[in-house]
Amino acid sequence: MKGLIFSVKRYSIHDGPGIRVTFFMKGCPLNCMWCHNPEGISPFPENVIISDKVGEREFSNSKEVGKYYSVENILEILEKERVFINQSKGGVTFSGGEPMLQFEFLFEALKACKENGYHTAVDTSGYSSFENYKSIIPVTDLFLFDIKHLDEARHIELTGVSNIGILDNYRILLNSGKDIMVRVPVIPGFNDDPDHLKKLKQFLLSTKTESLKKINLLPFHKIGSSKYKRFNIPYKMDNVEPPAKGRMQELKEFFSEVGVKVKIGG
Amino acid sequence: MKISARVKQLRELSLNAVEKISAERALLMTQFYKSDEARELSAPLKRAKAFEYLLKNKKICINEGELIVGERGPAPKETPTYPEISLHSMIDLEILNSREKVFFRVDEEVKNIYEKEIIPFWKGKSNRDRIMNLMTHEWMNAYKAGLFTEFQEQRAPGHTVLGYKMFTTGFLKLKEEIKESVSALDFYIDTQAFEKFEELKAMDIACDTIIMYANRHADELEKLAANEKNSKRKNELLKMAAVCRKVPANAPETVHEMLQHYWFIHQGVITELNPWDSFNPGRLDQHLYPVYKKEMEAGSLSTDELYDLLGCFWVKFNNHPSPPKIGVTASESNTYTDFCLINLGGVKPDGTDAVNEISYILLDVIKEMRILQPGSMIQISKKSPDRFIHKALDIIRTGFGQPSCFNTDAIIQEMVRQGKSIVDARNGGASGCVETGAFGTEAYWLTGYFNLPKVLELTLNNGFDKRTNKLLGLETGYAHEYKSFEDLMKAFKLQVNYFIDIKIRGNNVIEKTFANWLPVPFLSLLVEDCIASGKDYNGGGARYNTSYIQGVGLGSITDMLTSIRYNIYDNKKFGWEELTKALDADFNGYEQVQYEMIYNTPKFGNDDDYADQQAVAVFEIYYDAVNGRPTSRGGIHRINMLPTTSHVYFGSVIGATPDGRKAHKPLSEGISPSQGVDKQGPTSVIKSASKIDHLRTGGTLLNQKFSPQFFEDEDSYDCLTALIRSYFSLDGHHIQFNVVNAETLKDAQKHPELYRDLIVRVAGYSDYFNDLGEDLQNEIINRTEHEEVL
Repeated sequence: MKGLIFSVKRYSIHDGPGIRVTFFMKGCPLNCMWCHNPEGISPFPENVIISDKVGEREFSNSKEVGKYYSVENILEILEKERVFINQSKGGVTFSGGEPMLQFEFLFEALKACKENGYHTAVDTSGYSSFENYKSIIPVTDLFLFDIKHLDEARHIELTGVSNIGILDNYRILLNSGKDIMVRVPVIPGFNDDPDHLKKLKQFLLSTKTESLKKINLLPFHKIGSSKYKRFNIPYKMDNVEPPAKGRMQELKEFFSEVGVKVKIGG
Repeated sequence: MKISARVKQLRELSLNAVEKISAERALLMTQFYKSDEARELSAPLKRAKAFEYLLKNKKICINEGELIVGERGPAPKETPTYPEISLHSMIDLEILNSREKVFFRVDEEVKNIYEKEIIPFWKGKSNRDRIMNLMTHEWMNAYKAGLFTEFQEQRAPGHTVLGYKMFTTGFLKLKEEIKESVSALDFYIDTQAFEKFEELKAMDIACDTIIMYANRHADELEKLAANEKNSKRKNELLKMAAVCRKVPANAPETVHEMLQHYWFIHQGVITELNPWDSFNPGRLDQHLYPVYKKEMEAGSLSTDELYDLLGCFWVKFNNHPSPPKIGVTASESNTYTDFCLINLGGVKPDGTDAVNEISYILLDVIKEMRILQPGSMIQISKKSPDRFIHKALDIIRTGFGQPSCFNTDAIIQEMVRQGKSIVDARNGGASGCVETGAFGTEAYWLTGYFNLPKVLELTLNNGFDKRTNKLLGLETGYAHEYKSFEDLMKAFKLQVNYFIDIKIRGNNVIEKTFANWLPVPFLSLLVEDCIASGKDYNGGGARYNTSYIQGVGLGSITDMLTSIRYNIYDNKKFGWEELTKALDADFNGYEQVQYEMIYNTPKFGNDDDYADQQAVAVFEIYYDAVNGRPTSRGGIHRINMLPTTSHVYFGSVIGATPDGRKAHKPLSEGISPSQGVDKQGPTSVIKSASKIDHLRTGGTLLNQKFSPQFFEDEDSYDCLTALIRSYFSLDGHHIQFNVVNAETLKDAQKHPELYRDLIVRVAGYSDYFNDLGEDLQNEIINRTEHEEVL
């Protein structure tokens, strides 16, 4: 069994504790307007044209984005990084795209990682079936769980999918005994109006269990915009500016009322 | 900590002082060498008397407001020359005066003195002339072709770090030791007894000289005090005079005394000759701690006073630029930095953690002073607290390039492997760029950089150098004649051995010139066991004697060999004929070949064994060629891997290479990957770099460039700490971080006037970005930026 992965990041330090290897799995059922990994949306390998310059001459080559990895491939990479993972009490994170879209591979990979002593994390949009989440709970130490908007209609507008299942899954994981970090993308004009933020804080507070360890506020950025051009996807966020530092600081204080650690960034 | 107004003023004075040539020392040295007395003396006595003449007659400089006194020249940054080592011609002086980077202003008076007094006397008589006359044709040809550099060509042998003993011993005590050593001489059996007798007499004169020099400062301070209106300053001046009367004659007992004691010693060493890496207080936190503790308990020193003294001390180093160099020596190390590297942390002689309060205080001083010199580093052992590393990261993140990080456990293993006692090893550390040494007991000399990629270029061309149009190496065949990669490696090994033989023959002659004509009786006082053995530091008197040849271009040569292996032999993407043509054409018209080499060939620095095995192979060949070969002063040759700035010079003498590098471009530096080829992030670089056996070297240099975002919060400090500790658990010797973003650097290139204070990590040391040549600036910009967000 193999998984389609579009990027492997070593010295990943923002996707869970310590130094980690993050595997970005290809394919996502959501279509968030602000997505900074548009190459992770399609569940198939894609070709992009990469141009490299040698002196004045340019060489263009078609490069395949998305490669199939076996569980053994995953373990080989982790073995190379073992010294850093051990030293930092880090581990492995499966992100995406939406890793749950390749559930069977994800399960096998997580299981093998656990058996080899690695701390495992899954960075998920929450958009998958109940049963799938239940199955991976035993082989996952940490869930990085996105909450983008509480209003269903608005959620559909922004991401293309309903949030009903997502919020149900969130409640289940809160009672799984595993660690959860909630990740809230802060997208100016989309989900940061005072009314929504108030509701969100209330929601996090009312659902809180021992499992909730941290809230990550992820400020919108445009670093992914050049990728849109490369993948020939229209970019809809040209007119949106990243939130100011002071604003993020305000939000950090606002959310700290939930009673867990709040961090700007991953 | 906040810098006091006094220290601020001294710091400004130092930053604004202009580097100038002073003819004072050259003139005094000439007067002495011309004297009747000088003609009659044995070499050690002649040098001792010259030392005495210098310190008796040089101008005493006391700067306003300072607490620690003594300048090598007549004023801050007025830099002496050493005609007995290397004589500057009128043209050299003009170059120094007018060159854009690392200039030294030369005024008319100095030119006049040089023309009338210095040059007529020393022409043809400097040690540089002596060396050049003694070298073989093979050596001269290889030297001119850029196969290696020669450290002792314009400077005296260096790497001298003060050890524990001299921080607790005065020179009056040394005079007693000398007396004992003299009385123990056995003129019946010891055939060297007379030479030792002369050397010990010279050492005794050197003791008296440094005490006399301190007293001259005391006299001057008392004179100043008598005329001082401000009573606070008057008292300070009197106190300073009392300190100068006490040290270095007697052992220091307070922080003030210890800093002044060291500073007299420092001046003595860099006035006697111009040793590489100036001189170094080494484990300063360890030496200061006992007197600090005592004073704190007695209440005789306030925190403000402590910081004031340390600030004044720090400025002193910055007042002393590296002596002016020219030609190849300037290319290999073109900087005002004189490589004083203060060590913090590490372990105590009993092996326990040595981090103490002074370690943290000195980190504060480094952060607040933010000046080029002295350089600083932290020694990290398994036992060092994370807090210590975090505090250092707090300074590193500001992009100042200091302190660098060293692996104490590796350093100790390196030294014990070399046969040093465990206590001497624990008392040691690293100095210069990254060089391992036993402080106070070892004379470890760097002898020159060795251009590994140049040897490969010759190996591909039957030993012939196209640039100098000479047959330099062995005729092992042309590239197309090597039937297999193994054949090529065999030929490469023969060539490395051949050129190392040439270098070592040269070293063994050059060492003798220093032992015979230029002994250093003052420096010999400071390094054990010179007094006990009656032998000079330059003649093998130290307890341990090591000569290093520094390998350069590991990343580059690994990529070159990997490309040959991958493209020619394993995958047959192109043949030797096409590759040779492409290299001869500097890839003009062969961009496709160059493209394959750059973008589609495995590279060192990505934790890819296919590439990294060539690094290991080259390392072993180089190690076998050098390690264990005897030196003429009874020491041993060993290797380390560092470049200073020689990788730029070495690149300039090499044509296009099989890694896709264009002709004359810089090589990789230290054991870092070639610029921009590490695509997998810092963990992969570390894995690749740790595949060579650091423990069999005397130091390696790994440079990692980070954007400031990597330091943004507590979590990232923990990860960086883990990254460093991981590298060290793999026996890595040293890692340094260059924290700055490319945009800033590009802007600095465009508007140098706005970035006068921009300091970057170059290679084993930090330098002002503005003082770097454009090629080095570009190289630093091009080094891989590790992307923060995917």
